[in-house]
Amino acid sequence: MDAGLPSLPPLPDPDDVPAEATVLRMLLGAQLRRLRESAGISAEQAAYPIRASRSKISRMETGRVGFKLRDVEDLLTLYGVTDGQQRTEILALARRSSAPDWWARYGDILPGWFETYLGLESAATTIRSFEVQFVPGLFQTEDYARAVTQLGHHSASPAEIDRRVALRIKRQELLSRPSPPRVWAVMDEAVLRRPYGGPEVMREQLRRLAQAAARPQVTLQVVPFARGGHAGASGAFSILRFAERDLPDVVYIEQLTSALYLDQRPDVEHYLEVVDQLSGQALTPADTAAFIEQAARET
Amino acid sequence: MTSDQTAAGAGTAGTAGSGTAGKANPPPFDTSVANQARIYDYLLGGKDNYAADREAVDAVLKIAPEMGFTARANRAFLGRAVRYLVAEAGIRQFLDIGTGIPTAGNTHQVAQAIAPESRVVYVDYDPIVLAHARALLTSTDAGATEYIDADLRDTQVILGQAARLLDFTKPVAVTLISILHAIPDDDDPHAIVATLLDAVPSGSYLGISHMGSDLMSAETLREMTAVWKRTSQQQYTPRSRDQVARFFTGLDLVEPGLARVEQWRPEPETDVAHRSIMWSAVGRKA
Repeated sequence: MDAGLPSLPPLPDPDDVPAEATVLRMLLGAQLRRLRESAGISAEQAAYPIRASRSKISRMETGRVGFKLRDVEDLLTLYGVTDGQQRTEILALARRSSAPDWWARYGDILPGWFETYLGLESAATTIRSFEVQFVPGLFQTEDYARAVTQLGHHSASPAEIDRRVALRIKRQELLSRPSPPRVWAVMDEAVLRRPYGGPEVMREQLRRLAQAAARPQVTLQVVPFARGGHAGASGAFSILRFAERDLPDVVYIEQLTSALYLDQRPDVEHYLEVVDQLSGQALTPADTAAFIEQAARET
Repeated sequence: MTSDQTAAGAGTAGTAGSGTAGKANPPPFDTSVANQARIYDYLLGGKDNYAADREAVDAVLKIAPEMGFTARANRAFLGRAVRYLVAEAGIRQFLDIGTGIPTAGNTHQVAQAIAPESRVVYVDYDPIVLAHARALLTSTDAGATEYIDADLRDTQVILGQAARLLDFTKPVAVTLISILHAIPDDDDPHAIVATLLDAVPSGSYLGISHMGSDLMSAETLREMTAVWKRTSQQQYTPRSRDQVARFFTGLDLVEPGLARVEQWRPEPETDVAHRSIMWSAVGRKA
């Protein structure tokens, strides 16, 4: 494989890199490429002032390697980006792409495959999901989250359960950040009917869900039992979408001991089709709000 | 609720604009054929499209490369037209028929940025498009948005349901952006538009953009029609300048009259270096 070919430095295995940093680097890289191209500068020309090679520039632009702030600053100057605001934004992105993720503190209870999800979730601009069993994690009450966690980890100590619940609640801060992602969840009616933690916990949970539905960035839809079978026969999944035009959607499917991430177009489109179909079959958001309130009264 | 099988036998011809109870069937959700809303989404750089949509568009772009610019220029026209209607004509009520898949700068967002109390009724006959619209097009608290699941040909359904949100004793802007060319001559699009305008009071407006048959060569038109026929759920009837002007019969056209979308009241940032293949105009009902 190496015979006679120009030797390229080995690429880091993307699986070794936490996803949030990966996504941010991809975003930053795509921006730098666009700026370079619009300045009419070749990769070779860009490489020299930052003492790098053409291939280093290419790896930076595809988000495969980390960025030194000084390099980013030099490149921006080279590309003629003098606008203070634009420089500040890009440098902030560079800084964020090298900062440790907030969930690093939960490393002891956090499997690597879920860490990847947290990275993608925090970078997404739209999160569409289909739920068959549980209230989406972003809308769970502490008591409901505890009931679900205890079922999944019955041998865990109370302290570990606390940390798992704390992580789930911390994740919800996503919804109150300055520009929160659009969260659009379609739920099977079973989600509203199975009373994890008992009727009282569930009633509180349903009230929380009704409040969540009223937020402008949140869209909830229920597929009632009465609508019969539906397109979501496969089970729960999420589709994460990113602002950057070049970044593909990512489908996330959680399993018991691991997760599946799909980003190949034919796979993603299959799930997109299912979730599109489900959103057409489900109650409208307005009717869903009434349906959730009714379910709360019946719990 | 969405499909009315009993109307299927009646066909669509003859029911258009006549106020009879006929209801065209919504398009089945089928990702193996190209779909109007998803085609437009792809042309605008969106991600809510499928392989069949992209293949159809790529084939059309080979015949009519202007189509990419046309889609973007059409979207920009929508923004300028709505801004004009709110800021200069004082319109606060919109009937937006042919909503499409939400993207940046949707009608209520443009309108409510100037007048938060603006009310917008979105109409689309594609249930999946409507699901996207309901999920994503949320109003300011001061204004309101409503969604109607209806075919443009079902004018009575549209007008009946729109009256729940819009006050038809006050001026309404009816916008038909890049939709009328999906109505064949057999369904008499001119009668449909006339019916809608009969329902709104004096001082109301009509905004239209429409693919122009005279903005492309006969050969392009023929080849493009053949591609749509082979690939697409919807068929298109581009119309000439005169045919588009007829939609505004009895209305006073706002300056500059009928123009290509990029030429309609361009702003400093409007790209007028390219040529679209879409006519546009805004007219006022006297």
